[in-house]
Amino acid sequence: MKHPPGLKGFLLALSLLLGLLILSTGVGILGYLALEAYLAPPGWTILVLALLVMVPGAILVGRLFPWLTDWYYFLPALSFLLVFTLYPIALTVYLAFTDYSGARSGFPDRSTETQVVAQEGPRLLLEEPVEEALRCRPCAGETVEVYAEGHRLRARILEAEGNALVLDRIPPFQAAFVAKVNAFRFVGLRNFSFILSQASKALFPVFAWNVVFALSTVLLNALFGLILGLVLNNKALKLRNFYRTVLIVSWALPGVITVQVWVALLNYNFGAINRLLGVLGIYPIPWLNDPDWAKVAILLVNLWLGFPYMMTATLGALSTIPDELYEAAKVDGANPWQALWGITLPLLEKPMLPILLSSFAFNFNNFYIIYLLTGGGPAQEGRLATAQATDILISWAYKTAFSAEGQSAYGLGAAISLLIFVLTVAISLVNFRVTGALREVR
Amino acid sequence: MRRLLAFLLVGLALYGVYWFALNRLFDAGSYRKQVAFGSVFVPYGWVYALGLLLGLVLLLLLYSLIHTALTNRIQGRKRSPWPLFWQGVTHLFLWVLILLVYYPVVQVVAASFDPTNNLFSFRRPDTGFLLLDAKVIPYVPEPSLENYAKLVEGVVLYPYQVGLLLLGGLALLGVALIGLLRRLLTPEDWMDFWQGRLLLLLALAVFALALTLSPRQFTGQGTEAKFLLWVRNTFLISGLTGLLAVLLTATAGYAFARFRHLPGRYPMLLFLIFVQMFPGFLALVAIYYLLSRLDLLNTFTGLVLAYSGGIISFGTWVYKGYLESISPSLEEAAMVDGATKWQVFTKILLPLSAPMFVFIFLLQFVGTYSEFVLANLVLTGVESWNVGVGLRSFTTGQFQTKWGIFAAASVLGSLPILLLFYGFQQYFVSGYTAGAVKE
Amino acid sequence: MKRAVAVLALGLSLALAQGKITVWTHFGGPELEWLKAQAQAYEKTSGTKVEVVEVPFGDIKQKFILGAPQGQAADLVVTIPHDWLGEMAQAGVLEPMGKYVTQSYLSDLQGVAVEAFTFGGKLMGLPAFAESVALIYNKKYVKEPPKTWEEFLSLAQKLTTGSTFGFLYNIGDPYFNFGFFRAFGADNVFAKDAKGNLDPSKLLIGGEVGEKALGFIKDLRFRYNLVPEGVDYGVADGAFKDGALAMIINGPWALGDYKKAKIDFGIAPFPTPPGAKNPWGPFLGVQGVVVNAYSKNKTAAVNFAKTLVTGKNLVSFNQAGGRIPVSKSAAKTLEKDPVVSGFSKVFALGTPMPNIPEMGKVWGPWANAINLAIQRPDSNLKKIVEDMVAEIRKGIGR
Repeated sequence: MKHPPGLKGFLLALSLLLGLLILSTGVGILGYLALEAYLAPPGWTILVLALLVMVPGAILVGRLFPWLTDWYYFLPALSFLLVFTLYPIALTVYLAFTDYSGARSGFPDRSTETQVVAQEGPRLLLEEPVEEALRCRPCAGETVEVYAEGHRLRARILEAEGNALVLDRIPPFQAAFVAKVNAFRFVGLRNFSFILSQASKALFPVFAWNVVFALSTVLLNALFGLILGLVLNNKALKLRNFYRTVLIVSWALPGVITVQVWVALLNYNFGAINRLLGVLGIYPIPWLNDPDWAKVAILLVNLWLGFPYMMTATLGALSTIPDELYEAAKVDGANPWQALWGITLPLLEKPMLPILLSSFAFNFNNFYIIYLLTGGGPAQEGRLATAQATDILISWAYKTAFSAEGQSAYGLGAAISLLIFVLTVAISLVNFRVTGALREVR
Repeated sequence: MRRLLAFLLVGLALYGVYWFALNRLFDAGSYRKQVAFGSVFVPYGWVYALGLLLGLVLLLLLYSLIHTALTNRIQGRKRSPWPLFWQGVTHLFLWVLILLVYYPVVQVVAASFDPTNNLFSFRRPDTGFLLLDAKVIPYVPEPSLENYAKLVEGVVLYPYQVGLLLLGGLALLGVALIGLLRRLLTPEDWMDFWQGRLLLLLALAVFALALTLSPRQFTGQGTEAKFLLWVRNTFLISGLTGLLAVLLTATAGYAFARFRHLPGRYPMLLFLIFVQMFPGFLALVAIYYLLSRLDLLNTFTGLVLAYSGGIISFGTWVYKGYLESISPSLEEAAMVDGATKWQVFTKILLPLSAPMFVFIFLLQFVGTYSEFVLANLVLTGVESWNVGVGLRSFTTGQFQTKWGIFAAASVLGSLPILLLFYGFQQYFVSGYTAGAVKE
Repeated sequence: MKRAVAVLALGLSLALAQGKITVWTHFGGPELEWLKAQAQAYEKTSGTKVEVVEVPFGDIKQKFILGAPQGQAADLVVTIPHDWLGEMAQAGVLEPMGKYVTQSYLSDLQGVAVEAFTFGGKLMGLPAFAESVALIYNKKYVKEPPKTWEEFLSLAQKLTTGSTFGFLYNIGDPYFNFGFFRAFGADNVFAKDAKGNLDPSKLLIGGEVGEKALGFIKDLRFRYNLVPEGVDYGVADGAFKDGALAMIINGPWALGDYKKAKIDFGIAPFPTPPGAKNPWGPFLGVQGVVVNAYSKNKTAAVNFAKTLVTGKNLVSFNQAGGRIPVSKSAAKTLEKDPVVSGFSKVFALGTPMPNIPEMGKVWGPWANAINLAIQRPDSNLKKIVEDMVAEIRKGIGR
């Protein structure tokens, strides 16, 4: 009846829950496969079947182990996490050690499709010489797909000579065509060694800018937010609630929209900002065309986007400082300046520190501002096409895997993601250490 | 140690600024002294601008001196003019700031009414007013609703949908009215009651409208004529994923907050944090593969499920924190009376948790509202896009630049989020600062 | 041959069967209407339902490669540019078309176009229309297109005033710039091997050719002061539509908008750049219809593709959007059309874009190099070209 204590209890509960989940998923998949032959059901039938098994299963297990019912509260979140977060992560980790890419997708290359003239057990006779038709040299060891109307078979070539090739298995049907498979392979650490071998062109400068960006954007926003917070915290100021409400507009607008607007405003020749500068007698600034100015542009736009949050946070923290402290200071003859340095700033440190640190962690992977504002550009000498002047790690990974410059190098992209994960965890560990956030939870 | 770190940081920052100034700001070789096309160059314009500001400050000084002198004379008191002056300078500073902050907004709103459909316009207007000619102040000689008209072109609404729209509009009006009354009069109970009811009505009307609209009702030719369809898709997707987020995080948050006796609670919490740190949207290929296996690609369900993974950790943490701030005495009393944990959770805690659920819902709604990376992967075809993908297509489609329409769509597309944010401001502010996480 | 006929006959008999095919297209406006009309007509004759889905051009390749094997992609795409062909074919998502079409059908299509859609010796799609960039000029400002560089320069500089521009184009994009590389000695991106196939190990746009071409592009900005910073496709295109630009390098896809904006334009080749040994010549791009190798309704898809790519339908397509068909009979009908004839002259100067997958590794570094060259007046072209070549080599080698 009582919950088994300690590690043993935890593991027992976890294995029961996971067992339940795996069992029901397994039943779902099996049921789907069984149904497939007759009904061609949609894939999500697996989920429905799994749910149908899981609910009675949970009730049954709950009868057997009454102490387990407390754990059921975790089930919805846990099962979702497993399917839609952990499974993709696991797959990505696996991909990081393969050379999976758009061209090496594990599917037959139809441009090598060649007609099979004669078939004799595992021996196929092709229309043309094997090496030419399948474009492989040597052909032994390559994976091919043999197919005919309604049939498909993957096999490996054992040997190839002239127009004939021998497969490692016998196709159970009359083969019509054969094509080479562009299989992706397990390449071990090659993706990582590629990243390191190009480190001076991508990893190091990108990482350096990533840290500088996250650090300076947080400091800049915090400084600005602090000043505004102090100004607006002045209770004698009229209309302060009005200002407060009006100034957070850039937080309230969807960033995806406003950043794209900024791209237009910062255009060298036609953007409103350079026009404004022109009227002020300043020559146009290549905001998005110069590697260094683009960094400034990103910091400024991120300031526009982010200062309301810092302002609000500062105001929240300031409201926790009791007025009596200031009155006491006044009695002691301190001027406002001394009150600021002696009371306000030291007392702000504790509530603001976690906000600053989490803001750093957020900006460290702030993909949208970089991708939408500069797309990582402009070009910079001696860099890879996927890792430009303002690229941060996450946009570099994205461009490697999903953009034209990167040519769908999914394996390499996954490797960079893994790197980002490790770095983020490291940063967060420092973060938690400093704030002691984890100790509080215990 | 801490002081050393601060000094180091400040030093580095100063060095960065110094380097930049040396190499970019004052290095004549690194930029071209060339006036941009179509812009007006006023030599030493900044001197005039500074002079203007200084003049305003002097005016303020003058005003505060005279004002104080007069009131002192009338009331026979001796007050210093400085507080008034500083107050005035603060207002001036804040208004300049507001101008700067709203500048992009003004530009976009102006562009949305500009039928020439170009945020980069080429002709220089000839009005004789410097700021208009320089197009620092947007110049819209013939404002028109053409861009907006293009967004709603060919949209056919059935009568009952118009009715729903009107109902929603009335509810919104009512909510706004009560909000106003709240400010003006002392808040009363009926206000809370009716505001809640009206909000619910609004949400239901919008949801019903979103459900009953079908792609067939959007008969306009261009891609942009599907804009309202994208808004409808987004409401469905983001609304559902918001609801799902609440459902998924509620029980787990409760268990983490109250079942302190469970072994392994702490490692599980840690696990949640660290799982969240994986750059989730880089697992795109994997998510694509998973959804295609489940036959959920190009369905809203698939996208909703994919989005939901991202909020679980954070939502659970936030809700757990909220519950821990509520004293458990009430629950303990109920337990003594023989209530089960489930009853305690549903009868006592759920009603108390409404603000936090609203926050989690809003967080997920706003967060996915204009998301475009995952949406673009999962959803194929103009008719199933959400707002984010659609807006992105205006600026990146193959050789397409429809700035006027982009501006109009931006204005319309921002409105729901703007309303939500300002309507639920206190939830956002308290939620974010309590969770100490932005987005 | 016999086999092809047999498959064809089978296809025809199956075409009458009920079913549904999905078409992805990046067409918009009148061209989309054209496609929808074609789909409806096909629905009537064959009984197969055709669903047209609009997918942005930039998304098609990746979505198709990812989705096709999972049964999540369209049955056919209208259309893809031929430079995607190699990558898509290697990914296995394209159905070889050779067995579905007869020699007489192919003989109506221009040889260059068929070659562009042939990869690894197999026809992987049906070419429909060709495109390349050319010098498009506004007749309001330019009465006669400039024949020499000197004429061009003086005209362009004269027309660059405070409110009008002489010459702008999408200066950061290699596709728009290849003409200059060709003028300075690069016949194509890769050299051909003994068999006449492109050899990815022989890169032609590097070395001295690359330096000279980049130097010229850089001069357009910093020496001749023609194309300022901040000009991209949108800016140049918008200026031309606005009537504020005299000359632009652009392609047939933009002409529909120019007509709509009531711009009276002409088409001409770009004059030979100063110091170049060859005439300017752009990339010739062919777009065509491809069929999904994993389609469940392949015959219907193939038949629809074939009805789209006929002389008659390509003429109506040209009338919808102004693209230049690759069908010989269509070209004959459209002989008198100034756009078609204008672009045909430009095509004669050009060379087909490579369709081998290695080309994918070139675009990124190439664009990078061009953007670096035009970033600063003092950019180091030699180093830029060396870096570009190294990155391309590395990409192809892997």
